[in-house]
Amino acid sequence: MVELVKSIKPVSITAYSSISGCGLGNQALFETLKENKSSLAELELFEIPFSTYVGEIKEDLPGIKTELEIYNSRNSRVALAALNHTASGLREALEVAKSKYGSHRVGVIIGTSTSGLYETESAYGVLLKQGNMPDDFHFVTRHAYQATGRFLQLELGLTGPCYAISSACSSGAKAIAAGHRLIDSGVCDAVLVGGVDTLCRLTLRGFKSLDLVAKQPCTPMDKDRKGISIGEAAGLLLLEKISRDNSMPKLLAVGESSDAHHMSTPHPEGKGAVLAMQSALQLAGVKAELIDYLNLHATATKINDKVESKAVQQVFSDQLRCSGTKGVTGHTLGAAGALEAIIALITLQHQFIPGTHGLELLDDDCNLQVVKDSQSKQSVNYAMSNSFGFGGNNASIIFAL
Amino acid sequence: MNDVFIKSVAVCCPVQKILDQFALQGGDVDKTLIPAGMRRRTSLTTKIAITAAKQACNEAEVDTGKLPSVFASLGGEIQVTDALCRMLPDADELLSPTQFHNSVHNTTAGYWGILTHCQAATSAIAAVDDTFAMGLLEAWSQLQQTAGDILLVCYDEQWPQYLAPPIGQVAFACAFVLSTDSGGTSIRCTIPRVEPQYQNKDKTVWERLVKQAPAAAAIPLIQTFYNKKQMNLIPLNISGGIWCTHIDTDY
Repeated sequence: MVELVKSIKPVSITAYSSISGCGLGNQALFETLKENKSSLAELELFEIPFSTYVGEIKEDLPGIKTELEIYNSRNSRVALAALNHTASGLREALEVAKSKYGSHRVGVIIGTSTSGLYETESAYGVLLKQGNMPDDFHFVTRHAYQATGRFLQLELGLTGPCYAISSACSSGAKAIAAGHRLIDSGVCDAVLVGGVDTLCRLTLRGFKSLDLVAKQPCTPMDKDRKGISIGEAAGLLLLEKISRDNSMPKLLAVGESSDAHHMSTPHPEGKGAVLAMQSALQLAGVKAELIDYLNLHATATKINDKVESKAVQQVFSDQLRCSGTKGVTGHTLGAAGALEAIIALITLQHQFIPGTHGLELLDDDCNLQVVKDSQSKQSVNYAMSNSFGFGGNNASIIFAL
Repeated sequence: MNDVFIKSVAVCCPVQKILDQFALQGGDVDKTLIPAGMRRRTSLTTKIAITAAKQACNEAEVDTGKLPSVFASLGGEIQVTDALCRMLPDADELLSPTQFHNSVHNTTAGYWGILTHCQAATSAIAAVDDTFAMGLLEAWSQLQQTAGDILLVCYDEQWPQYLAPPIGQVAFACAFVLSTDSGGTSIRCTIPRVEPQYQNKDKTVWERLVKQAPAAAAIPLIQTFYNKKQMNLIPLNISGGIWCTHIDTDY
């Protein structure tokens, strides 16, 4: 057996863009975080048999061009909104990358938990009534996991590798990891990575069946927390080979691990979470003391927050400032790893630390420096983001200025 | 750049006729490889994937407790998702919490980790017709950072035929142990890439099967592994840009 040698070179993040309940664009996300304001409100998109707060996207979404109509899903439209947001410079940066490297050298890897399931749910209503799917049902191009990634690839005229990562709530973070590896191993020069997930009935009713959905907006790390509030989002990032231009933030590493414990309950001692964070630090070649800020996964369920607290304490003691932002955005599931990676990038860009909306009294089990209210004029050079999903699937990302 | 070698291959397909037709060594789900409790809770897709994965790991004699893995499937837990979708139009239906957490795409990856007590990274990917090609690419690129072994499993079960016919007419799973270590009887495969000049002369039977069972895209690579024949280009998908790997047995 060969000795394990793990290393990876940093890559640049040339541009990034997002849409969530906080609005369209990174500025809208930054401002909502700065005000530590919640975007959570009662669900309006469709009816479900219980009341809950969600982070719902209220913006008008762009239409899909006629040639790509078979890819038309809420998921694709949400992704397109983020892609086209001019102020982010993402689409422009992708065009530059395409002409600089060639379309076949630019990959697309998108994380999602349910892809276009929202449209399929409506189609099942027709199937059960009429015995067949409606004519405009296109499983492969709307619902299959890769659909949104393929749509983005076709929209941009790219021809490199294209796939979806779907590992529940770590999907977006794992897509960033996969894109990083494709560049490091020389398969691609640039990769559009990220996570896109949209509200749907199955997820809301499924989490409800597990008794994990809060009636009120979620309150991460709070002593009296009552469960999650679900959200929807797209977070897209362009990773590129490191350039001489050092002004771009860098992705240093993504640490990944498995709990090997239970499909929907984390390992009680946070063993998998510890491994993911340690592996990220090791791959990045960065000591724990150097990290200035950690965006917690902090879903606001009793067990998740308790286990994450234990895990973070094992790796960082109580020396690290951290916060959970799902009280602001909702838990955006397969997009969360990418959206919160963007939040970590915003902390680098604006030298600020977001608060933890909804946190009143810190849980006794949580011995961490959880930031309650957002703090400006901070020094943030290294930022980390945690994402943990069903199946005990964990990822921790480290960015640096 | 690390060389990548195929250490072992295994196939699980409940249809013996297909195994015979393509001269594949394999069989149906092997119940002895999956504990009873897990067998009860898991779908056919997870059982065929775990059977193939276990067999490939046994053959390669690798320590599954430390093995990173990539699970590649077009539709994953499609039957579980289908059953849940059928309940949604009724507001009074209560979804089963077990079925809900078993509907995620990384369900097989999660059960695999629990079964093997493995805390190494595992990924669940999907790429429609390119699922096997992208799975191999993902595994290949993981081996560029980590010298060692990795498990690649590609699988899809039988699907309801109102979703995307003919996808899912046949359940098919295969598994590979890939390694940076050339040891034993392994063969070397190069980085998967699109080969514009690739032309398949005799492909109709295989292509027909791949349309029904996406994971069967791996068959040419599996056959090459069996035969240890020097072949220039092995196709990894059947439509669009054709992804290929070069196979090399003289090293």
